[in-house]
Amino acid sequence: MIARLSLSRRVGLIVIIAFIAGWLAVIAGGFFTIGPRLLPSPARLEAMADLIERMPAQERAAVAAVLVAPFLTLEVAPGPFAPAPWPQLRPADERVLAGYRQALSHRALAVVPLTRNRFISVLNAVEFRLGLASGEILIVTSTSPVFVAPFGVPAGLAAGLVGILIALVTLIMLHREFRPLSRLAAMVDRIEPSGEMVALAPLRARSPELRSLIAAFERLQGRIATLLRARMALVGGIQHDLRTFATRLRLRIDGIADAQTRARAVSDIEQMIALLDDALLASRAGVRALDEELVDLAALLAAEVSDRLASGAPVRLHVDPGDATVLGDRLALRRIFANLVENALEYGQRAEIVLRPGRADVAVAIDDAGPGIPHDRREILLEPFTRLETSRARKTGGAGLGLAVVNTLVAAHDGRVEIGNAPSGGARVRVLLPRFLA
Amino acid sequence: MRDGKPQIMIVDDDSEIRRLLAAFLSREGFGVRDAADAAQMDAILARTQPDLIVLDLMLPGEDGLSICRRLRAPGGPAILMLTAKSDEIDRVVGLELGADDYLAKPFAPRELLARIRAVLRRVAERPAWPPARRYVFDAFIVDLDARQITCKTGQMPALTTGEFDLLACFVERPRRVLSRDQILDRLRGRGAEPFDRSADMLVSRLRRKLKSANPSVELIRTVRNNGYLFTATVETLA
Repeated sequence: MIARLSLSRRVGLIVIIAFIAGWLAVIAGGFFTIGPRLLPSPARLEAMADLIERMPAQERAAVAAVLVAPFLTLEVAPGPFAPAPWPQLRPADERVLAGYRQALSHRALAVVPLTRNRFISVLNAVEFRLGLASGEILIVTSTSPVFVAPFGVPAGLAAGLVGILIALVTLIMLHREFRPLSRLAAMVDRIEPSGEMVALAPLRARSPELRSLIAAFERLQGRIATLLRARMALVGGIQHDLRTFATRLRLRIDGIADAQTRARAVSDIEQMIALLDDALLASRAGVRALDEELVDLAALLAAEVSDRLASGAPVRLHVDPGDATVLGDRLALRRIFANLVENALEYGQRAEIVLRPGRADVAVAIDDAGPGIPHDRREILLEPFTRLETSRARKTGGAGLGLAVVNTLVAAHDGRVEIGNAPSGGARVRVLLPRFLA
Repeated sequence: MRDGKPQIMIVDDDSEIRRLLAAFLSREGFGVRDAADAAQMDAILARTQPDLIVLDLMLPGEDGLSICRRLRAPGGPAILMLTAKSDEIDRVVGLELGADDYLAKPFAPRELLARIRAVLRRVAERPAWPPARRYVFDAFIVDLDARQITCKTGQMPALTTGEFDLLACFVERPRRVLSRDQILDRLRGRGAEPFDRSADMLVSRLRRKLKSANPSVELIRTVRNNGYLFTATVETLA
């Protein structure tokens, strides 16, 4: 049964059927271009007989040789004419031969079929015997270059048509069989490492290859989920233990007598935890395990700026009118702008923030008053552990994760980060996030 | 507050943190007891009632969430939840378990002290009855305790128990994406059918009813195939 055939056999079948169809087309084309068959017309036969009759006896063989044509031979045989019985013919052939009988009615005429094949017309190979005035017999043998079926169409046409019909049915079945494949692709696209499992089972496929492919994707999905759970558990465990140690350390620090040492130790722990938070957020963002809620960027930036101003940092915020709501993770968004403002203050002394809600995107530009960022360093700055200041001395702080984290988090929100220079000459980092369209 | 000192119990499985915290809080003038897990805590609670429990979220055996649920009762101790996973704060707050405050580890001891004092002050002023849970969103007014919803623009069709629970779930967590799992987790406690599709069906029925009362807005949006977002801004009604 075709429906149970494997894909490779189906494809093989299609190729064979295509060859049959092509062969058929060539035959049919030739048949209808050249004409149904190459029987000499009655008038031509009459003209041949007439010409040979009028020739002197010794020239007849030569004239016959001249009249020979492809698929047509002539021979002048000595008489007398022996009438042959009229052959039993199918109606289509009979109609053709009736014309000859009529046109050549004044001569003795016999038609001898040369083929006994029942599946092709007798007219494919036939011998005409015409009686000449001299008493000799002109034997004209006509063969056809194309086999003609008894019904007057090229042999194989019907078989070809049936073949094409089968081909069409097979194509439709193939299409039905391939349809689950494209639906599978669409479903596999929907698989998100941290999202819900996509149920692939409803895809019913008949061929064993497709069934095993779907099963393989099911297993792969399961393995990804297991892997991710293991990774999240590991990250969670590490963060839990690190925070426990940090808590102990933070409580012990209060025992340090020297205020300056104490302040430095506190700041060390804070930086350590900030780094941990960054790494955690980035790893969650990498697998799209962030929360999503509607966040008003104007309010979020205002909160960030007021925190900075409270600690005396030179930060300014300008908000253009318009709706600046985005769908995203509040913690991650806060982190993005905290890191960028931190960078601006660290390397560029001040931070000028401009929020510009556009039609499709909300753009936040953060300018600083530093030396700017050279062209060739802009892309690489978004890679982890890259710092413009290559000494890696931690004097100015930062492990070089800041912008990489920003980039990962922004990408997880379907946004993008652009690094350029501000008109004032300092660096400008622009973050574009898709606006939530209410 | 026997002998004038506020009594605080520390429940944390890390002995060093218990010791350091106890020392710190004693210095600040609190009476301090500590427990390593739920069993020890219960043994102490059988004898004496603290004013406030500093409760770690992750404990061996019964975890902090479960303890919090259990102890949440009028007149019970105030609870300050500690968590060693920053991303859990959000989740814990979202659960509204009735902890009075939350703090992420590591914290500055001064910060903890300030929070403890604030919670104790709040608890002292706490009214006997919790405030009514009445909210306004879009053209709707919903009273979660009386289980009533009215609409200013049109006739609001009656909601089934499941639909009302779903609406409550949205109203208490507006403007954030809730996955089917989260919605079912929330509803299952109240006897919802355990089928994934039931969340989708419930959402579409609620959506239709809200729309019939006020056709001008789409309050519940489907987000990228993995959840639902209640887009209205919800305000508490005094």
